[in-house]
Amino acid sequence: MTDANNNTDEAPEYLSRKVIVASENGLHARPAGRLAQEAQAFEANISLVHDGQTVDAKSILDILTLAAGPGNMVELRAEGSDAEAALNRLEALFLNKFEEA
Amino acid sequence: MADTTLTGIPVATGIAIGKAYFVNRNHMANLPRQIVAAEDMPAEIERLHAAFKSVEKELASIREQVPEELKSHGSLIDTHLMMLKDPKLSGSAEKYIETLGLNAAWALEKAVSDQEAAFEAIKDQYIRERMQDVRVVAEKVQIKLMGVKSDLNSISGRAIIMAHDLTPADTVELQVDKIMAFATVRGGKTSHTGIMARSLNIPALVGVGRLEEIHDGDLVIIDGLTGKIVVNPTESELADYNERAALFEDYTRKIRRHCHLPAETFDGSRVMVQANIELVEEVTAVLDNGGEGVGLYRTEYAYLNRTSLPTEEELAEKYIDLAAIMAPRKVVFRTLDLGSDKFISTFGELNETNPAMGLRAIRFCLKNPQLFKTQLRAILRASAYGNVSLMFPMISGVKEIRQAKAWLAQAKAELRREGVKYDPDMPLGTMIELPAAVFIAEFLAHEVDFFSIGTNDLIQYSIGVDRTNRHVSYLYQPLHPATLRAIKLVVDAAHQAGIEVSLCGEVASDPFCVPILLGMGIDSISMTPQAIPGIKRIIRQTNMHDCRLLLKDVLECRTVSRINNLVMDNIFKHFPEEVTFFSSLLENDEQPS
Repeated sequence: MTDANNNTDEAPEYLSRKVIVASENGLHARPAGRLAQEAQAFEANISLVHDGQTVDAKSILDILTLAAGPGNMVELRAEGSDAEAALNRLEALFLNKFEEA
Repeated sequence: MADTTLTGIPVATGIAIGKAYFVNRNHMANLPRQIVAAEDMPAEIERLHAAFKSVEKELASIREQVPEELKSHGSLIDTHLMMLKDPKLSGSAEKYIETLGLNAAWALEKAVSDQEAAFEAIKDQYIRERMQDVRVVAEKVQIKLMGVKSDLNSISGRAIIMAHDLTPADTVELQVDKIMAFATVRGGKTSHTGIMARSLNIPALVGVGRLEEIHDGDLVIIDGLTGKIVVNPTESELADYNERAALFEDYTRKIRRHCHLPAETFDGSRVMVQANIELVEEVTAVLDNGGEGVGLYRTEYAYLNRTSLPTEEELAEKYIDLAAIMAPRKVVFRTLDLGSDKFISTFGELNETNPAMGLRAIRFCLKNPQLFKTQLRAILRASAYGNVSLMFPMISGVKEIRQAKAWLAQAKAELRREGVKYDPDMPLGTMIELPAAVFIAEFLAHEVDFFSIGTNDLIQYSIGVDRTNRHVSYLYQPLHPATLRAIKLVVDAAHQAGIEVSLCGEVASDPFCVPILLGMGIDSISMTPQAIPGIKRIIRQTNMHDCRLLLKDVLECRTVSRINNLVMDNIFKHFPEEVTFFSSLLENDEQPS
């Protein structure tokens, strides 16, 4: 599921991981809120890419407008001092379905 | 004459007289739209952020006060908090101040519209509807910016709450000790507003037209008996209603005093009087009002307003609580009755041309066996903890009930294999709410342990009338000869087969209908908890012999008006107070001109 794509010469500045939306209802209000909340804790600029759309991972509204459904693939991109840590944390969130009961 | 009289649907009885207080009034109509001079922009931006911060603080403190049992409301407030903190919303408003020089409230309005445009394109209905939440939080900030004090949390003195709509989140914020009554434009009989009002024991009306004509501070009378709102009443109207309110209070106090006595007629016939509920929290109301059990537990609530289906664990936890609290009293679980006017977002919109006759209730469950079995397993698990029965809604034929029973048998087999406890003898019933079920009642009686007549739907289907349609709702008549004959047929079929028959639906809580039901020999009636004391009083002051005579006369009547007159006479003779307070129930037997 993860696909580390660290910065080589020609690669963009950001780090990137691909994740699958495994939560039952996709990126709905609760997971989107959780994701934004966690993302806000990091310095790095973090974005989500899905279906050709790139949005700010620190914005619940942005995440909601992605309307990523269950089973969809989403790319996490982070750029900044704690980019690596941010990706680790957010990827873990996706993996454990946003810690929803 | 009073300024105006408005009408709505009464969802909680009583009379309240007080000052109107609007919450969530549409402030947006007065939203200031001004251009800010360049030198004032930094201050305007600061004002914007301060307003965001202040609303955030308020929400956070409300969030802390949300009691454990309202967890779902808490998570809604969490979402609102996240939206409020979203850099997108405040950021884009800030940009509008900087670039266009808009004042803060206007700039935020623009930011919200942009967001709206983005959400409109979303296919997922549930996500699209989250835009309402964005609106709600933005409005809070705008109201703050405008310096309007209309905050749910800042009611001074006791007031009658008026609102376009009250969401569960709103009701968490309301200071219940200051509320005398509710009136809302939206909402139906089983809306959150109604449940809340009934549990607070205050009158409430929903579906009120032209409510916006009322102003903050207007003196209003809310008549939860007839569904009227009198705005700025005259002296004599006021005196009149004051007297009625006092009388009604006396009456309710009197009947409540005796509500724990058994529902037994003078000549010794016992009827069970039970409650219809949909939240476990309502058991207090059941017990306080002398309910002898739960005759209908509507299980839909756990499925509504959420994005995923409840798990067996979640359901079982609730069901076990309910069964255990009520034990040894009976709890009758009705399996999921969704469709028609109630949907789950998980299944998307069921776009049906004729939803009342479409994929709903047992039909929906048989089409979604996984969902059905999850619920059956949860109910079975609860049966180990109390006196639990189960019934299926909307049964139209023998085959259907056999199919449902097959799933029940399978759920039982699974639990047995897994070593999970349940009551193997849990009584099983069917709702009788379709004319088809009435006609084959004698066959259905061999398939189950009891019947429960759902009169609301039965009347709707028998007379072919949608009672929410204002052009034809006058045809919805509990005392229609066809309705009464149908009920009689079912009761007779049940008793012939040696099974019990219960009746839930508004007819059960209508003082004018109850003597007739008694005459038929109904075993149990089930109603909203608050109606129980009044109905018990009727039962305790009548005797079966009279009821049978009344029934005999009624069954010979050919028109509704004739039946109404007979019933009215009977009630007049024995229960003059009920005529004073409830005669409006009989008012609609004429076609409106």
